[in-house]
This record gives sequence, C-alpha cells and structure tokens, in this order.
Amino acid sequence: MTVAAGLGYALVALGPAFSLFAGVVARKPFLVLTLLTSTLFWLISLIILSGIWRVFLPIRSGAWWPYAILILTSVAFQEGIRLVFWRLYKKMEEMLDSFADRISKPRLCLTDKMLISLAGGLGHGVAHAVFFCLSLLTPAFGRATFYVEKCSRMPFFLVSAIISLGFLVIHTFSMIIAFNGYDERKRSDQVFVPVVHLIASVMTLINLAPGGCVIGTPLLCVMGAVTLQYCWQMLIC
Amino acid sequence: MALVVLLISLLAPPSAPGSAAAAAQPPPPVTAATLVYLESPTDTPGQKLVGALLDAAVFVALVAVVTFVLVALYYYRCTGFLKNYMRFSAFFVLFSMGGAIAAAVLRRLGAPLDAATALVLLFNASAVGVLSVFASAVPIVVRQGYMVALAVIVAAWLSRLPEWTTWVMLIALALYDLVAVLAPRGPLRMLVELASSRDDELPALVYESRPTVGPASGSSSYASAMGSVEMQPVADPGRSGGNQYDRVEQEDDSSRAVVEMRDVGGSRSSIRERNLEREAPMAVSVSGHSSNQGGSSQHAVIQIEQHEEGETVPLVSAASANNAAPNEEHRESSSSDSGMEFEMFESTRGIKLGLGDFIFYSVLVGRAAMYDLMTVYACYLAIIAGLGCTLILLSICKHALPALPISILLGVTFYFLTRLLMEPFVVGSSTNLVMF
Repeated sequence: MTVAAGLGYALVALGPAFSLFAGVVARKPFLVLTLLTSTLFWLISLIILSGIWRVFLPIRSGAWWPYAILILTSVAFQEGIRLVFWRLYKKMEEMLDSFADRISKPRLCLTDKMLISLAGGLGHGVAHAVFFCLSLLTPAFGRATFYVEKCSRMPFFLVSAIISLGFLVIHTFSMIIAFNGYDERKRSDQVFVPVVHLIASVMTLINLAPGGCVIGTPLLCVMGAVTLQYCWQMLIC
Repeated sequence: MALVVLLISLLAPPSAPGSAAAAAQPPPPVTAATLVYLESPTDTPGQKLVGALLDAAVFVALVAVVTFVLVALYYYRCTGFLKNYMRFSAFFVLFSMGGAIAAAVLRRLGAPLDAATALVLLFNASAVGVLSVFASAVPIVVRQGYMVALAVIVAAWLSRLPEWTTWVMLIALALYDLVAVLAPRGPLRMLVELASSRDDELPALVYESRPTVGPASGSSSYASAMGSVEMQPVADPGRSGGNQYDRVEQEDDSSRAVVEMRDVGGSRSSIRERNLEREAPMAVSVSGHSSNQGGSSQHAVIQIEQHEEGETVPLVSAASANNAAPNEEHRESSSSDSGMEFEMFESTRGIKLGLGDFIFYSVLVGRAAMYDLMTVYACYLAIIAGLGCTLILLSICKHALPALPISILLGVTFYFLTRLLMEPFVVGSSTNLVMF
C-alpha cells in the first residue's frame, strides 16, 4: 500500500491524459509544443490568481462563502485566459496559413484544428491535475494515508485524484468545444463552456459539507461525462 | 536526449541520501563555491545574503579565470594537452564523484556490495566512459548515456550546496554567461570564433543528442556541424534572404528540442528545414594543481568549478542559414505527419547547447525538488519556456547566444512565485477539496 497506492492515485488522475498524450499528441511535435504552451499559460494564470488571493489566505473561518467568491473569481479569470489563448492561437493559425499558401501546401484542415484544441485543452487539464493532485501526492507514497475531517469515508488522495480526473476531462474537452464555438461563432457553445466550468467548480463546494464528498465527487464525474457527451454531439453534427 | 526529465528522476534519489548523509556527517562539503562563506542555518538573512553574494563572486571569478586559461591554451594550440586534460577529468568525475554518489545510493537502498567488485565495476564503467566520450567509433547511445551521467553527477554534487548560495550562484552564472558570450571580447565568444575559424572541433566534450539520420555518418557530420558554426550566416547574407519561420518544437517524450528553420530563399524556393540536433559540448578539465591529493572533497571542488566553465562554453550557437550542402533534404518519416503541413527535414546542421547548461538546469530543478514537487513542475515548465525563447531569439539574431540566462531567470522567478504565492493557495484550497 505504499508505492502501489501512490502510483494508483497518480494513474487515476493522469492515466487518461497519459494515454491521450501517447496516442495522439506525442506523434506530432507541434501538438506537444501547444500542450506545453497551454500548460504554461495555466500555470501563469494560477500564479496570478494566487498572488491576488494571497492577501486573504488562509481562510480560517468555516464559512463557505469565501470559497464561493474564490471559485467565482478563479473561474472568471480562467475563462478570460482561455480567450487570450484563443486569440494567440488565431494569430498563429493565420501565420501558418499564409505560410502554407506560400509554399503551396494544404492549409490546416478541420482535424488539425481539432487536434490543436485538444492539445491545448489537455495542457490545461494536465496542469490542473499536476498542481492540484500530483504535487500533493508525495505523502501517498509513504506508509500512511490521509483523511480530511469533512470527508471521513474516502482517503484524501483518492478524492483529489478523482476530482482532478473529472476536471481533466472537463478542461480537455471544453477547450475543443470552446475553440469550435469561437470559430463558428456559435453562441451556445461559447456559453456552455464557462457554465460547465462554473457548475463543476461549485460542485466541489459540496465537499465542504460534512460527508459531502460522497455526493460531490460522483456529481463532478457526471459533469465530466456531460462535457464529453456534448463534445461528441458537436463533432457528430 | 533525455533532457531534464531524466535528470530529475535520476537526481531525486541522489539528493535524498545526499541530504541524509550531510545530516549525518556534521562538516558539510567544502567546495569552491563556499570558500569564502559557509552558510549555517542560524545566520540572519542579511548575513546569508552577503555571504552568498561573496561566494558567487568568487565562484564566477574562478570560472572566468579558468575559462581564460582554456582559451589561451587553445589559442596557442595546445590541443593535445587540453584533450588529455579532459580525458583525465572525465575519468575523475566518473570515478570519484560518480563513485561517491553510487555509494550513497547503495547505502540508501541497503544493497550490499563488496568493495572489490564495486571498484572493478566502477573502474570499468569510467574507462568505457572516457573512451566513449572521445572516440568516434563508439555507438552514439553509449556516448549520450555517459554525457547524461556526467551531467547528473555534477548536478547532484552541486545541489549539495547551501540554499542561498545556490540561488545567488545560479543567477550570477547566468549573468556571467550573458557577458561571456555576448561581450565583444568575451572568452567564450572568442573560443567559439577561434574554433570556427580553425574549422575544427571545440576542445570540449560533445553531447550529440540525436543520431544523425542524414547521409553523412555520425562522426563526420558532427565534425562539420561543429566546425562551421559561426561563419556561415555572415558569409553570404544574400542567399539567405527571404523569410524564415522557425518553430521550436519540443518533443517531450524524447525531450528533444527541434528547431526548424525554413528559408524561402530567393535563389531556390525549396524549403530547407533543418532538424537541428542539439549537441552539447562541454569542456571538462581539471586544473593542474593537485596539491591536495588526499581530500577527495577538494578534488570535487576543483572539478566542479571547471565544469561550469565548460558549461558556459556551450552557448547555443546558431545554425547557419546556408548549409554547405543545402540540397540534401530529408524527410523524417517518423515525425512528419500527413495531416499538418509541417514536415521536418533532417539535416546535418546542428544547434549546440551546452551540457553544462543542462547541469545548471538540473541543479535548479534539484534544488526545487528539495522543497516540494510543485516547485519542480513550475521550474521545469519555466526552463522549457526559456529554452524555447532562446531558440526563437537564436533564429532572429544569428550568432551564438547564451542559453542560461533566460531559462535560469525564469526558473528562479517561477520557483519563488510558486513557493511564496501559489503553494499556500493551492494547498489551502485543495485540502478543503475545493478546486476549480
């Protein structure tokens, strides 16, 4: 239950991301570059956010509203970052397209755009999983485990691994949805992404209630599944 | 090849027993970096800062002096002497420092190994290492392996330095690197220019990260890539007119950075892209005065400082736009994807990046690993981003650039930002299971 447990938690959180990476992203260097860039973007956004919130931390009171405000601002900020990332991507795409025209090569086709957005989303998701789960996971390789007071049924590491798995799915596929939505100027897609992100984050607030993680974590996974389903629908038609 | 990831993973085990051993043995290692001032945890931050600054100054001065000596030796064509020097020092690094680290690892793992076997194994390994580093007949994988091993060993030694000294030293070295490469009479710049004007190799250990797939076989292509680095972009700027797009691509799995430079040249419209291999020349040399034969730590000191000097040598030097044989176009079938329109062509022309730079990257990452895993990820990302920036800059201004400054400064910034700002935030929110 030491190394095995730690590896298991890490794989719960990052396994799908790893298989996506090995299967899709790693074959094309450009996608790897995109992934790294978006990971860096997410990290910078996290640093800025935490710089803002540093003043108010740590929150000592047991009230839930500071967390609600924190989540609201964070989600808003990250959606803003997503917009910035989109702008940047747009510029790069124009450059690449003009370059492709000059050397008379085919432009980026739809699949390539999808792949790029997948890589970007995967970068966000991986960054989330790494910083919120994997970096706290080192004690799990030791001989004990850790329970949070509010959630006495499941080990903390398992909960955080599952939560970051959910967020990884949400981040990855909502990036595809968002890019597609921006590209085709579909209002519903553009709205869907922040709403899903917000709902998923609010669901983690349930964890603050005693024993809430038994409810909140599955709900989060449901949110991830909903995102996947939406993305699938969008791609089908 | 395995850039920082491998280094981290390899570095982590040595660093843990290293700190444990340091805790067990009261006197911490006295190295060249701590000649002036030895940090003790009871000092005030002001004292530490001043001491660390002094240490860094002495260290950089030593490095600069040794670099000048090297350049002078090279200038007067004492190449044989230099080469033997480096052989000896590579052997020494592998044998003594590697042996010490291997012993620490063994002790940590609790694996019993008798002294005679260990000595024989170690001696054989080091001998093969020295041979493989300089002979061209050795398979490239072996050479790469030994280069990585050298880098890991030195980085592991360096990460035993006290904390403040490490940070100040990293920054000071980055600045020194900047000066030594970019200043008109900077020693490293002189070295590179000398080497390219004589059209022979840098007197350095060279890390070839990629087996050249090009038509030329490994060794000869390596020599040609080494030789004509700096001269060509200046040689005929007319031909290289047109646009050049560079993309920096990093393949994470193999940790290989590929820069493709495309010229849509005026004379021929074919794209030549080069998949630049990274080579890291590293000069390792032991300074001759071995007055203190007895103390092994003293030896380590000497070696360490030389490394740095070697490592600053290896700035990234720009691959020229015009190749000697520009028409050899090679499609690298593995990474060219049909869907996207970027193909990569493999060419023999390379970027050189110092193995010593890798050493210092991994010192940074190793130091970050002593705090938390989160800082490791942040530093790793920052270093990669810095490398990307350097490569892009490299394609803009086509001469040798120092690889250390951007990456190191970014890495240090991210480390402190992560440690001071992000960690309480992330830990605070995620231990409450609130995420977003």
